[in-house]
Amino acid sequence: MKLLLALLQTMSVFLVVAYIYSKSPAFKSLATISIRRRNKFYLYLFFSAISMMGTYLGLPVHDALANTRAIGPVLAGIIGGPVLGIAVGFTGGLHRYFFGGFTALSCGLSTTVEGLIGGIVHLVLTRKNKSSRIFDPTTAFLTTIFAEAVQMGIILAVSRPFEDALRLVEAIALPMIITSSAGAALFMSMIRDRRNLYESAAATFSTKALRIAERTLNILAKGFGRETACEMATIIHEETGVGAVAITDTEKVLAWVGCGSDHHEPGSLIASALTRKAIAENNVIFADGINERYSCTLSEECMLNSVLVVPLTLDNDVIGTIKLYETRDKPFLNMNKSLGEGIAAVLSNQLLLYGYEQQKSLLTMAELKLIQAQVNPHFLFNSLNTIISIIRQDADRARELLIHLSNFFRKNLKRSGNLSTLEEELDHVSSYLKIEKARFEDRLTIEMDIDPSLLGLKLPTFTLQPLMENAIKHGISNMLEPGRARIHVWRDKDFAYIEIEDNAGIYNENNGKDGLGIRIVDKRIKFLMGNSFGTSVSCIPNEMTRVTVKVPAGGAPAS
Amino acid sequence: MIRALLVDDEVHAREELEALLLETGRFAILGKCANAIEALDAIRGNKPDVLFLDIQMPVVNGFEFLAMIDEELMPTVVFVTAYDEYAVKAFEENALDYLLKPVERDRLAKTLQKLLKRAKTGNSPVPVSGVIPQLTRIPCLLTNRIKLVGTAEVEYVESDLTGVHVITPKGRYFTALTLKVLENRTDFIRCHKQFLVNIDHIDEILLNDNLLAQISTKSGRIIPVSRRHLKKLKDELAI
Repeated sequence: MKLLLALLQTMSVFLVVAYIYSKSPAFKSLATISIRRRNKFYLYLFFSAISMMGTYLGLPVHDALANTRAIGPVLAGIIGGPVLGIAVGFTGGLHRYFFGGFTALSCGLSTTVEGLIGGIVHLVLTRKNKSSRIFDPTTAFLTTIFAEAVQMGIILAVSRPFEDALRLVEAIALPMIITSSAGAALFMSMIRDRRNLYESAAATFSTKALRIAERTLNILAKGFGRETACEMATIIHEETGVGAVAITDTEKVLAWVGCGSDHHEPGSLIASALTRKAIAENNVIFADGINERYSCTLSEECMLNSVLVVPLTLDNDVIGTIKLYETRDKPFLNMNKSLGEGIAAVLSNQLLLYGYEQQKSLLTMAELKLIQAQVNPHFLFNSLNTIISIIRQDADRARELLIHLSNFFRKNLKRSGNLSTLEEELDHVSSYLKIEKARFEDRLTIEMDIDPSLLGLKLPTFTLQPLMENAIKHGISNMLEPGRARIHVWRDKDFAYIEIEDNAGIYNENNGKDGLGIRIVDKRIKFLMGNSFGTSVSCIPNEMTRVTVKVPAGGAPAS
Repeated sequence: MIRALLVDDEVHAREELEALLLETGRFAILGKCANAIEALDAIRGNKPDVLFLDIQMPVVNGFEFLAMIDEELMPTVVFVTAYDEYAVKAFEENALDYLLKPVERDRLAKTLQKLLKRAKTGNSPVPVSGVIPQLTRIPCLLTNRIKLVGTAEVEYVESDLTGVHVITPKGRYFTALTLKVLENRTDFIRCHKQFLVNIDHIDEILLNDNLLAQISTKSGRIIPVSRRHLKKLKDELAI
């Protein structure tokens, strides 16, 4: 009983040490989420010291020491894994060995084994994805009970004479098991509390991340350029408090806020090999300032030492990077690392969203205007020239053609609504065709075969005319022989098909001008009706080109 | 009277221009052609002083057409087109003038003045020297259509009693162009009075004892080299 109390006394000393340690900056190595090699070394020193102290504070009992040496190696093992556990255990054990006594060997040996036991617990918990339990005091408690029990077993097995060993174990087993395991548990709970404190710090970081996301939300809508990059870099710098923030495109620095802005000028080419690597590989690059350093190639006085480079992507293409820097006197916080990656992800999403919005409005308004603007000057002036000529021979026909021409232009200007019926589309096309027929006369024959039940079919405005214009402008007008164009509209089950065919057989997909009209029609139909609809083109050179439009027979949804 | 040939693929455009030209009383219209092939024949047959030429035409456009005209027959060129995106190019082709459709009477009067002025200085018809573009495609007449053969595909060109033929690894095609036009407007080399060869297709030159030589093309065809052209051929190939 006296022994138990004495051991509890020594344990209290530990707890005081642990408490002071947990308040010291050195503790940070334990607070971070994963433990780096250098931190492991600190942990080794610390726990070895704890272990040795347990030996020093031990109470002589029967030519041996009742002690709390086990706490060091067991905790080191649980926290840092088998290697750290064994290292600490071996150090503590060696230290104990030189103290002598008939249990010197068995105690030295068992201390190493205790470290190993802690390490095995670490491995098991990590493998089973229960690493949250590593810092659970219960784990420490149970592991230490087991480890101390094993130690007793080793003493009995190794120490001679056996009678002395048995006597010793009878005396120290219970007190040592109780105090060591209780000590380990308390020690661990202290570590855990401190860690939780750090985690709540992480929570404030999440808040920060959200704030950054919110503040940068609308900046990128103005596009990705120097001005917006500067605004964003300023916000990120303010919110994270890192040494410096830079934003680059794939070639140049767009913005640099914070330390080093005197020699890292916006507009200059990217100097850092790390950044170029991040761009080339589309990978996050992190130089922690310890294992890998960032060294400024521009100025020797540059204080920056560590950097996180995160690529900004748009549709998987790297379009630039965001870089967070820390100076020599500050470690790069893990929090800032994940924060930086998060920010880049948010900004990439915003870029994508912005691109999508832009595309959407392009589809609806701008592209429509493009088709209207496509009423090309060739068509206009050639038509007028044709009509001027016809006036000489047939004034009535000229009048009629002018009315068709004005009808064609009126519809081009007026029909800015999204949908038209097939009948309206056909009316537009026939005005156009009347004029083209006058221009080409015998060189152009038009055939129409239209299912009258489909006249009410709703289509995106300007579906037919661009396709017809394509057939004439890029097809028939390039033929020496007579040309023939055919519009065929029919129904098959739930689908309506519009086919425009010419006998020129000239279609070049790679020719941007050729395909533009068809591509826009296709995009608008897909946008309004879904991806299973749209245009398809088939071409037999010198024989025919056929553009088929597939839409639901019910037409486009009203909008 | 200025003897004019009109080339435009649109019938009403031809009629309108004809009417305007006739109104001036200074033009005789030798013919109206709807495409380059018809026009090539008309130029050879009628030898016009001036050519009113549309640019956008089927198969062979106005610029390509100019490259097909024999140099000594080259008339003065006035481009007539609906849209002025080609103006700069047209003047690079040494065109006398450039008219926009619909053509105004007053504007046409200015063109007439230019034509008369040039006729007075004795430069009529003006040879469009040097700057005539190289041919990149040779129009060949097939039974029911015109095939454009890229000059790079051509192995050699042969002229015989039936006319000028372009020979490619794929076949033999009749063309309305003369050997001289083809010699001047392409990189083909004259190797015989009746033959032009594309150097890129030469596989071997076989030299015989009697100073006669033969060319074997990459596809194994044999063409003769005459004595007077052998030296030039050797120079060209730096032998």
